[in-house]
Amino acid sequence: MEHLNYAASALSMPLLLVMAAFACLLLPLFIRPLRGAQGLMALGAVLVALTFFRLSPQVEIAIFSGALLINPASSYLWAFALGVLTLVLALSISKPPFPEESGSEYYFLLFMSVLGLMVLVAAGDLFTAFIALELLSLPLYALAGIRRTKPGLEAAYKYFMLGALGSAFTVMGIAVLNSLYPALTFTALKAGAPGPLALAGFLLVISGFAFKTALVPFHMWVPDAYEGAPTPVSAFMGAAVKAGGVVVLWRLFSLFDGGPVREIFWWLAVITAVLANLAALGQTGLKRLLAYSSVAHAGNLAVAFFGGRRGFEAVLYYLPVYAMATIGAFSVALALEKDEKGPLIEDLAGLAKTRPWLAAAMAAFMFSLAGVPPLAGFFAKFYAFAGAVSAGYTGLVVIAVIMSAVSAYYYLKVTVVMFMKPPAGDQPSEPLGLIGIVIALMAAGVLLAGVFSRPLLSIAANASHWF
Amino acid sequence: MNSYSLAAIAFTLFSIAAAGFLTCGSLVRMLMFLELMLNAANIALVGLGHNAASQAYAAMLLAVAAAEAGVGLALIIMLASAFKTLEPENIKELKG
Repeated sequence: MEHLNYAASALSMPLLLVMAAFACLLLPLFIRPLRGAQGLMALGAVLVALTFFRLSPQVEIAIFSGALLINPASSYLWAFALGVLTLVLALSISKPPFPEESGSEYYFLLFMSVLGLMVLVAAGDLFTAFIALELLSLPLYALAGIRRTKPGLEAAYKYFMLGALGSAFTVMGIAVLNSLYPALTFTALKAGAPGPLALAGFLLVISGFAFKTALVPFHMWVPDAYEGAPTPVSAFMGAAVKAGGVVVLWRLFSLFDGGPVREIFWWLAVITAVLANLAALGQTGLKRLLAYSSVAHAGNLAVAFFGGRRGFEAVLYYLPVYAMATIGAFSVALALEKDEKGPLIEDLAGLAKTRPWLAAAMAAFMFSLAGVPPLAGFFAKFYAFAGAVSAGYTGLVVIAVIMSAVSAYYYLKVTVVMFMKPPAGDQPSEPLGLIGIVIALMAAGVLLAGVFSRPLLSIAANASHWF
Repeated sequence: MNSYSLAAIAFTLFSIAAAGFLTCGSLVRMLMFLELMLNAANIALVGLGHNAASQAYAAMLLAVAAAEAGVGLALIIMLASAFKTLEPENIKELKG
């Protein structure tokens, strides 16, 4: 009975999101004063949804005949999803990234996408995961192009074409697996060593989810999509979409104790770490740099998988830490952007003189992404790599650490430009408003989650036992 | 028709569609090949599935394919009016 109560209150969060999404879409049609206030409605609804958050009891509750599993891991990730949504809403309210008449659609699509993420991380079987993946992606394709300008539309179509190709792979893989494992639940998929046909199915599904997580060589859409999409949407893609993909990839990865699937993950992790970090070195646009950094971090997460249970614990710690740094960095890009492609790295020149606090926060995000102690990014990388080393994958970790050192170059380049270069002329500094609050929160977050990493880590450790 | 020939049809269709998607130079054709890939997967689901759930999956997949076509066509219409072309090599505002 107590567990049923818990399940009901946990389920109220996604249900409230659905209601809020339709309220944002439909109410402004009938009630004229609400037009333009959809963002505040959305933010209010999410804050109400957050009050339904309860600490999960240590049980797994299967609902909808096992399609959704509510356990400490999924409720941890639901809280993460709602947190990311709150921040993205705050960014969207302070600098609306959509044409004036599209406010309703924007928030509707954003809510639907978060709903997809919540279902994805709680999915109990592969087909539910696929439907959730579509629910997560389809609104994002539209969100990327919501401004209907040339860069936005180009980003949207590239994201759409490659994302849909990934979905087609996934669903073909699911069709193959369905002939061998009629139940398709993650527990049923674990039965024994797969034959060649099952292996083909698993590889198709894995490549589909690798498209979403942006592992090289499935990352071609990332730089363009992040650059052309509105900045709050790019922040959402970086923080949330990756999380959904990574969780499903982990569940697929953990089905295997060895064999070709692990080998393929090994290569994916290595290629991602090497190519993403090298490609990031030559970037001049801040949003493109963050896009390649997001690909590189997906590689680090794939390395963490090899640590087994401890590795997944690190992944669950890594996701919010990475999300804080990347949302913070995108917020700074949003605060400084003059056209929709976002600022160039050289546009940050002299920021330390003109807006010292903004520069300090940006430096914190860059150091956290690079993995400089005592910021949270260091501990995230440390735990991710330590798990893989203790499981005996030293070679993989050596490559990842070397590439991580390479990554320090381009993160530090941003900091150097901010602190060493003179400002390029008078820049009118607009007040930051809500963006400033988001940046301050994220900067405090990367600092506190690093210095006091224990609480978050122990929650992550507790949650990691359930997948 | 046994399930082997159905599987063969599904795989052939999927490979043809994937190859076409990667080589054809027009967004509308890419979208058509995409639908073809999803339909190949649908044939595989229905042809190889053992239980009623697979048939239900196929019905849901039809809905997903329709939604995907909807979003894709909307994007293509906007692209056509913004860029006056539907060839990916002429749509190059961003660096990629």
